[in-house]
Amino acid sequence: MLYQTTEAQERLRAEIRAWAEKEIAPIAFQLDQNNQFPEDQVMDLGKHGWMGIPYEKEHGGAGLDALSYAIAVEELSRVDGGTGVILSAHTSLGSYPIAAYGTEEQKKKYLVPLAKGEKIGAFGLTEENAGSDASGTETTAQDRGDYYLLNGSKIFITNAPRADTYVVFASTAPELGNHGISAFIVERGWEGFTFGDHYDKLGIRSSTTAELQFHNVKVPKENLLGEEGKGFRIAMATLDGGRIGIAAQALGIAQGAFEKALAYAKEREQFGKPIGVNQGISFKLADMATKIRASRYLVYSAAELKSNHEPYGMEAAMAKMYASETAIEVVNDALQVFGGSGYLKGMDVERAYRDAKITTIYEGTNEIQRVVIASNLLGRLGKKDAKGTKKAFSADKLPETGPRRLQVFQGSDPQELVDKLVGALKADGYDFSVGIPADTPISEASRVVSGGLGMGTKENWKLIEDLAHAAGAAVGSSRPAAETMGFVPLDRFVGMSGQKFAGNLYIACGISGAKQHLKGIKNASTIVAINKNPNAPIFKNCDYGIVGDVNVILPLLTEALGPGEKEPQTEFAKIRRANPPKHEPIGPVMVCSGCGYEYVPELGDPEADIEPGTLFKDLPDDWVCPVCSEPKEHFIDRTTKGL
Amino acid sequence: MHCVREVTDDLFWIGANDHKLHLFEAIHPIPQGVSYNSYVLLDESTVLFDTVDWSACRQMMENLEYVLDGRGLDYVVVNHVEPDHCASLEFVLQAYPDCQIVSTEKGFMLMRQFGFAVDSHQQHEVHEGDTFSFGSHTVTFLEAPMVHWPEPMVTLDLTNGALFSADAFGSFIANDGRLWNDDVDYDRDYIDENRRYFTNIVGRYGPHVQLLLGKAATVLDKIKLICPLHGLIWRNDFGYILDKYDHWSTYTPEEQGVQIVYGSMYGNTESAAECLANEICKRGVTNVVMHDVAETHASYLVADTFRLSHLVIACPTYNLNIYPPMHDFLDELRMLNMQNRTVAIVENGSWACESGDLIQRFVEDEMKDMTVLNERLSIASALHEDGRKEFEALADAIVESVGKACTDCASRFA
Repeated sequence: MLYQTTEAQERLRAEIRAWAEKEIAPIAFQLDQNNQFPEDQVMDLGKHGWMGIPYEKEHGGAGLDALSYAIAVEELSRVDGGTGVILSAHTSLGSYPIAAYGTEEQKKKYLVPLAKGEKIGAFGLTEENAGSDASGTETTAQDRGDYYLLNGSKIFITNAPRADTYVVFASTAPELGNHGISAFIVERGWEGFTFGDHYDKLGIRSSTTAELQFHNVKVPKENLLGEEGKGFRIAMATLDGGRIGIAAQALGIAQGAFEKALAYAKEREQFGKPIGVNQGISFKLADMATKIRASRYLVYSAAELKSNHEPYGMEAAMAKMYASETAIEVVNDALQVFGGSGYLKGMDVERAYRDAKITTIYEGTNEIQRVVIASNLLGRLGKKDAKGTKKAFSADKLPETGPRRLQVFQGSDPQELVDKLVGALKADGYDFSVGIPADTPISEASRVVSGGLGMGTKENWKLIEDLAHAAGAAVGSSRPAAETMGFVPLDRFVGMSGQKFAGNLYIACGISGAKQHLKGIKNASTIVAINKNPNAPIFKNCDYGIVGDVNVILPLLTEALGPGEKEPQTEFAKIRRANPPKHEPIGPVMVCSGCGYEYVPELGDPEADIEPGTLFKDLPDDWVCPVCSEPKEHFIDRTTKGL
Repeated sequence: MHCVREVTDDLFWIGANDHKLHLFEAIHPIPQGVSYNSYVLLDESTVLFDTVDWSACRQMMENLEYVLDGRGLDYVVVNHVEPDHCASLEFVLQAYPDCQIVSTEKGFMLMRQFGFAVDSHQQHEVHEGDTFSFGSHTVTFLEAPMVHWPEPMVTLDLTNGALFSADAFGSFIANDGRLWNDDVDYDRDYIDENRRYFTNIVGRYGPHVQLLLGKAATVLDKIKLICPLHGLIWRNDFGYILDKYDHWSTYTPEEQGVQIVYGSMYGNTESAAECLANEICKRGVTNVVMHDVAETHASYLVADTFRLSHLVIACPTYNLNIYPPMHDFLDELRMLNMQNRTVAIVENGSWACESGDLIQRFVEDEMKDMTVLNERLSIASALHEDGRKEFEALADAIVESVGKACTDCASRFA
């Protein structure tokens, strides 16, 4: 058995390597610096037929195997990790689900232009509360007869907003957890489909990554991918293959960094000799090369298994885990070989050092890869125990900011919305005749008015300052508003990584409510959200909200609170949190006629393997009272009314 | 000496009163005593409906012998096996070896568990809706599970309309010669002890009480007398007591009003509670009762919580926990399924004030449909003038909420 690539595969490698050296290498630093997507080059990749390598020719692909595709990702990543992942996310994630689960019509309509590289694909699974654990998916797709109504958002989506075609996972039956997830093909440009935060990433900066937002997006019935409720399986199968792509990316990044270090070790002289003669350097190179070779065999072997339709999930996970950890070690050593020069911007090893890190994180963290590998080795061992400790039924899940009133005002008359809000705040005891200076430190402020990216331009920031004055509040912001837009100094952004607000009133304007921001305001007594996107997470975390344009609402609110002079605030009395509304029960509580035990569906009966969330009517017929063994039919509804 | 009363033709009360027992069920004080009711029907057969506590056995046996007047005892109907009614069964069975026993399946099981020699007697296991004739009197049985035990039934004599209701419609207070509900001013002199009996003994089982009331409603026109195992016999005004039962078993307050329960180690929390009561009454809500949790038996506090719409808990922090007597009281409310009340919290702590948060969490997490008012009075050791705004705000909130309470409660169970 001779482990060797074919001539055709090596020819493909040579072609792509030459192309990458010519087209990408010269601009790689520029792409990295400017966070720039290599639009023309990606189109050119398509022209070469490299955007659909593993797909059938009749569907626009090259009709090659998975290993050829892995080689392509490896070679692009060798020069630029960002360009590598553009191809990987497009091919493995954006196109594969359609190729594997699509109908012939769907393949014709969507796979063909993707495989030809005329369109770019992306994959939307990760959410704020659903990453490694897809069962937390909160994006929903409601069946409305002719179409599905898609609502929710996705984060960290590679190739967004550039991609044209998105495979999006949404829950069609939220009560079923993983079994209620379905996959959909969604096109950019559909009404209600918008893109959120621009991510300012550590590495792979030539690839674009953004948030997807769906507000009442109508998805035609024919765009359901596979069967309803089978989305989780589609996602998992796609990620199995995607791991080969990421493993190949990690391999390429390591290979590129290694080659640079090897060259530098021969060229750089100290003490009159190339530094490579020192064992300190040469041993590093020996280790690097060995680990890269091991990675390569893992990656290629997984790809071969996939091409030959053998089970490859565990092997792909091993390849992804090992190759990415190797990449981290190799880029670290490569930069070390370069010494101070490697630490400078513009050096390829510096970029590789940053690019490599993501490979241990995305498409399943390496911790998750180990879970996958271990579960392949151990089977369902211990699964039953895990059930008992399962987190409380999701109906009880609290917003990130804790229990909130969630009173959101919507309507066509902005003045009316503002009046309702001001009325509610005054009823809660807020006195707007007093105020604090705008530059009061956030952590000491009793009130803060914050602005986010939704404020738009710097000129608009005056609206925030005016509102802060009227509300007697200090001025704050979201992280991107301070960091990316520079609306306020960095010491004034609120969030997990910034300032924490624990005062009374927090008014968030044009802030979508990223988790890290919400963590910074969870001790606020009252949170007010003003945002034009009704699906913004901030509305799930506020006491009061107004859905509306900040340019309209803020001036009205400023006027309503009173723009005049404020008395200085004398005492900072903490206002107690509002009472949140109570959760609606998911089903009846049933009382045992043999002992008075209450069956609560939210709790289930873990001792008898009854999952939290199981309704009484769905209990097995042979289920008996866990306390006195009375049969199911001797239970009565807690709300039994006799008279 | 026998001591019996004729209830109606051929039906006799042969129970006894107990003034010696200090704690009913070894928990609840009964300063006015309690009666154990037992009834005898003289038909073609002779029938005993339940017996009495062991302490009253001798009196009951004397009464029984007197009423039977030389006849044997043919049947004993055991509606409820709890020993304050059934303990004397053992002696009855010995004295009347030919006596047959009528009860439910679980009734027989429990009688065996308690060690009564039922197996040497003929047994009739009856079920919901069965009828049984003793001659001119025919009775029917309704199962009454978990009105607070699993085995009880109630027996309705279809001939004279007497409902032998087991513990349902019973009350504390010894009869002492009185027999009928209208022998006393029930609403003035009896209802508080009746409420204390019901809420503490049966309070937890509201849904099953409702189930029983629903069954009773279908035969209400046939009921002429309600003969409980404790207290007076109801011969009129059924609507009055049914309405009380309906409130208690749906956890609906009878009155809008405020119960203030405080714990106070050195009088400071007590003083705050007094100030708060003063503010509440000043604002026009005068249906206010106040009790020291450490000095008052929980059964009295529980009864008031069932009666009133609002509960103020004023409580010090003790070893970083809820002041233990208060914790006991709250746990009693939890056990009794207390729900649908509005709670205000006054917390005290001299260096680490924890009680308020702990109480709020307990009330919200361990009880159902409770509303904790947002306003909370936090006291550091003692209430001073600078806390006035806070406790006035609390009084305002309570008074405002009392105003809304009645409509809220009504709609919840509409």
